[in-house]
Amino acid sequence: MATTTATITINSTDLLTDELALTSTTTLTTAGTSTGVTQTTGLARKTMTFASSGVIDSEVLYRSDDYTADKANKVYIKNTSTTPAEYFEIMITGAGGTAGGGVTELGRLYAGDWAFFPWNATGGTKETFIATIAGTWVAGETWEFDGVNIAAANTTAADIAAQIDAAQFPNWVTSRSGAAVTFVSRWSMDAGTVVTATADIVIVQTGGSDATSVVSSAAMGTKSLSDIYIKPSVHTGMTYECMLIHE
Amino acid sequence: MATTTAAITLTSADLLTDALSLSATNTLTKAGSTIGLDQTTGMARAYLTSTTPIDIFPAIVENGTDLRAFNGKSSWVYICNKSEDETEYITVKICENVIGKLYAGDFLWMPWSQPADVTNAANHHGDITIAPSVTTGMYAEFTCINEGVEYHAENLAIA
Repeated sequence: MATTTATITINSTDLLTDELALTSTTTLTTAGTSTGVTQTTGLARKTMTFASSGVIDSEVLYRSDDYTADKANKVYIKNTSTTPAEYFEIMITGAGGTAGGGVTELGRLYAGDWAFFPWNATGGTKETFIATIAGTWVAGETWEFDGVNIAAANTTAADIAAQIDAAQFPNWVTSRSGAAVTFVSRWSMDAGTVVTATADIVIVQTGGSDATSVVSSAAMGTKSLSDIYIKPSVHTGMTYECMLIHE
Repeated sequence: MATTTAAITLTSADLLTDALSLSATNTLTKAGSTIGLDQTTGMARAYLTSTTPIDIFPAIVENGTDLRAFNGKSSWVYICNKSEDETEYITVKICENVIGKLYAGDFLWMPWSQPADVTNAANHHGDITIAPSVTTGMYAEFTCINEGVEYHAENLAIA
């Protein structure tokens, strides 16, 4: 068990008539226990640069799907800029939205500002479908999806399914049962339509073949409810540092 | 002009192979300037006995097409769960979206844009709310240091 402590100090001698001198220390523990958290992304540092101010966009700082939901995770973010006018918008996805549909701006980190807050990491539902290899295949016929091209090693459906399952897809993970390959999207997303994969799977047949890949059990996903986004105010390069301490 | 600083240290000798010893300090300034923040709600200490979420700072409400006066300005929020029971937590939300849970002794320090909501018309907005996990009573402390907050007119009707 690791012991990690966070201490905040807020001081001012002239904000109020009385001096402000606040100090609070907490030991970072797993949810509902006295056991210390044991995982972290480490401290990261990244510069965001865009070609022009018109194309500035956000990026996902932490994706809920990559972490366990509803735990005692803690996020640290710092804007390392020294130009007072430069800021990062920190946003979180969810049901409501203040910065466009489904995204709420928490606040802005100006030059030198830092934030430290808990994070629920509530993901959504991942899109899924099953592709079943059927029909008569000829060795060498190809099955294509998500930028991955599989050439059938033989004519056996289960073997072709095994080849598909063994491949690494950019946006999907797979598992297999016989000739059926179950696809689950890597990230929660509300695509708006049920499984675009139905139309995206391409089979290149050779003469006389009726090779096919039947899609079934397709289910649309739902969007993640607490991904954290970050967006710089200028395109000329702004650097942030961040760290997630999580269960 | 007031000078208010916020500092954090994150330390651990055994979370990583290398020792973690992170420190950061910032001076709280108005948005895009070097002028110090000069307003605060003061530190509140509340004994909460209901799990219903409560709005801890002046609510951001719609007023026709008028954008909120302090939308996008510099505000800083501190919230601390003063419970000593490790199972008790406070759920912190913004715009009805859960940010996270503060367990016993945990605190947060985050900027707050006091944003208006662009997708809901029923006063969801960027309000920050907290909700304790139990009804048996939990202490919470919170403050906001800012450029200003919107105080409502008397008897303001909220849709």
